[in-house]
Amino acid sequence: MSTNKQLALVIDLNVCVGCHACVTSCKEWNTSGSAGPLTDLNAYSANPSGTFFNRVQTYEAGIFPNTQTVHFPKSCLHCEDPPCVPVCPTGASYKRAEDGIVLVDYDKCIGCSYCSWACPYGARELDEERQVMTKCTLCVDRIYSETLPESERKPACVLACPTSARIFGDVHDPESDASMAIEERRGYQLMPEWETQPANHYLPRSIMETIEAAKKEL
Amino acid sequence: MRPQYSIIFLTTMIGMAQGLLFSVSILNFRTDAISPDFLSSVIFPIAIILLIGGLVASFFHLGHPERAWRSAMMWRTSWLSREVIALPLVILLALIGLYFSLNDHTPQWLWISLMISCLILWICTAKIYQCIRFIQEWSHPTTLLNFFLLGLASGWLLLTALVNLFKQSIPSANNTFLIIVSLLMTFCAFNLKLWIWNRNRGLKPKSNLASATGIKGQNIRQTSMGLMGGSFNTREFFHHQTDRVIANIRKIILLCAYIVPMILLAFSIGSVLPKIYLCLAVIIQFIGLICERWLFFAEANHPQNLYYQRVS
Repeated sequence: MSTNKQLALVIDLNVCVGCHACVTSCKEWNTSGSAGPLTDLNAYSANPSGTFFNRVQTYEAGIFPNTQTVHFPKSCLHCEDPPCVPVCPTGASYKRAEDGIVLVDYDKCIGCSYCSWACPYGARELDEERQVMTKCTLCVDRIYSETLPESERKPACVLACPTSARIFGDVHDPESDASMAIEERRGYQLMPEWETQPANHYLPRSIMETIEAAKKEL
Repeated sequence: MRPQYSIIFLTTMIGMAQGLLFSVSILNFRTDAISPDFLSSVIFPIAIILLIGGLVASFFHLGHPERAWRSAMMWRTSWLSREVIALPLVILLALIGLYFSLNDHTPQWLWISLMISCLILWICTAKIYQCIRFIQEWSHPTTLLNFFLLGLASGWLLLTALVNLFKQSIPSANNTFLIIVSLLMTFCAFNLKLWIWNRNRGLKPKSNLASATGIKGQNIRQTSMGLMGGSFNTREFFHHQTDRVIANIRKIILLCAYIVPMILLAFSIGSVLPKIYLCLAVIIQFIGLICERWLFFAEANHPQNLYYQRVS
């Protein structure tokens, strides 16, 4: 691990209730910013569709009666080795050296979609109206803002979460809340088989481990 | 993946042009085997039209075509960027070839540079797809070999047809030789395609819902993808066709790209009017190649689809 800063989210699957508050607050903040809107298609008719940086999905696991419903927020994971960055032909996709955030320069993007092919997580969405690739910015325009009170300099999704399922911090700093949560609660990365080293981590459901352990005892 | 016609036309048209230029370079680089008149009035103009046609088609793929010049910037890391440089280079060399052939002699260095630049362009084009490690259908050296063999076979077939159509004779390569080489190339490409399809059938996806979500427990299934009206993720990464359509396209590919052209080539040997068979073979094979490229995209399974399985 490098000693540079790597900002990331740590998502606690134990407490996410699937309310989509992170989705709507993300959309609200990022569609209103200077970087341009996240446009919606057919917003008030059949098959509404639009650009979002963050989605909450739902999964089930287990066999009755030991089943679990898991709400699973998914946004850009800000990989330490992001496969989407080197493939970009214009240099519009880049990873910031100072804090590890993966960003798109909308003024350089030609809308070829190649970076989205090179992301195994489906974290990038081409904005249909603006025809540029968009993705989670970790609210880069919030977290360093000097006009916001110190306590609000966090990604919009983190502030909106009613159950504090989202922890924001530097995963390279062993003292940060994020690193400590990963360390203490066995935070894991998505699709480790592709060696992208996502910076975002997920905290596993402890109830599932309890069930698995109980099974072994039987 | 969702097949996009801009990329399908780009890769098939420039592949054919590269094959044509490569074939002419092989025949011509020792001595001027093909007459300069034929080169300047037929071969180079057709190659240039195909290359520029492909280049124009590629612009329809972009959300911001007016910024396309920027795509040559990241040649250090991006194969797409390298292709953006290699394609105009081939066009430039073909234009130089046109200039020289108008002046009756094309120097050896030009044929060698044409061969090398065509090879580089094949590598760049194929590597765009091959370098995406988690699309397992693409991430294999046969992706490059398939682009190369199909481009070469279609280009050589086009050369054979043009030689017959314009009643040319090449001293070092008579008509039967051209046709037999064409047959052999198509046969090799045919076998490679069968091998690739066989490999694709046997592929075990490295990612699954357990690795994609990290959820512990058996029988993981999605109950909601988090959206109901579709999104970029549901549009871009799937071909949106039924299995039956895919099976039919597979049959069209086998017939049009390989089997029918091979039969027509075989019939053209010793026939009274070989040019009719050969021109028909070129047209049918090109239709087959478009279908082949369509399926190349359609049969690529992207792991992001694991996250988009059920609306609710």
